[in-house]
Amino acid sequence: MRGDVRGRRVAVVPDSVVNPPHGVPDLLPRLAADGWGIIALASAELGSSERAAWLDLVVEQVVTFLDDNYDVALVDGEDRAIQAFATKMQEIGRAVPRVLELEAG
Amino acid sequence: MTTVCYLAHCLLNANAKVDEGARCAGVYSPVVELLRRHGCTIRQMPCPELAFGGTRRFWAVREQYDTPAFRAHCKRLAEPVAAQIRADLKRQARVVIVGIDGSPSMGVELTASSAEWGGRPHNPQDEDYPVVPGAGLFTETLLGLLADEEANVRIVGLGQDLFDYDEQAELEKLRHTLSSEGGEVAR
Repeated sequence: MRGDVRGRRVAVVPDSVVNPPHGVPDLLPRLAADGWGIIALASAELGSSERAAWLDLVVEQVVTFLDDNYDVALVDGEDRAIQAFATKMQEIGRAVPRVLELEAG
Repeated sequence: MTTVCYLAHCLLNANAKVDEGARCAGVYSPVVELLRRHGCTIRQMPCPELAFGGTRRFWAVREQYDTPAFRAHCKRLAEPVAAQIRADLKRQARVVIVGIDGSPSMGVELTASSAEWGGRPHNPQDEDYPVVPGAGLFTETLLGLLADEEANVRIVGLGQDLFDYDEQAELEKLRHTLSSEGGEVAR
């Protein structure tokens, strides 16, 4: 089609990165500047069954990137949604060991 | 009133684009900056083509994806999105869906469609990609799931998958959609 400038770097992020609460540093510009694309986990506002379905979809997409040797990392390893994602990956025998340490850009 | 924008996956992750189709490294910052200025809540929709066709897929048209399996896949992806949209509408938020015009799955006003496109890849010219009026398969599925709520949702397509993509014109289209009720907010 037209050339391609993808960074081949994908960060799995909690909702708080996409929608930073008031007073919390905005990390999205930092990720963008560093060439990361993101996959956002569902907001905690979503019901548990829908959140589980959303998580399954994220896992499928992340596995697709891992299988094609994209660089995949997590942001905010302490976040509960990120931990749920990591657990789900372990259940299928996969892992995303890299956790990014970010400062707002 | 809160505005919640549901973005096509690739606007936050260009790695999900078809092979040779990524216009930026990852996050498409102009859209994020615009939504931040408007104080919007951002939600990312799943990419229906990525987990189905992988990262090295060719640029297909609607007809190539229009199978019972792909439609079922779109429905599975769209259901949690529709549930979240319903929850947002219930709490009186304004919902804007931002798709990708020219995409066979995420198109809003324009999609890729052709009865002839397919078979052995031969890298045709960009301008040959057959874009026609109409929505993509995922967009169609999501709006179908929203049913009577569809009228309460605004939807706009950014023409990132069009040969003659005009970034400023497309951002203006989004800005117009966001500004049509309520102005920009300082952040």
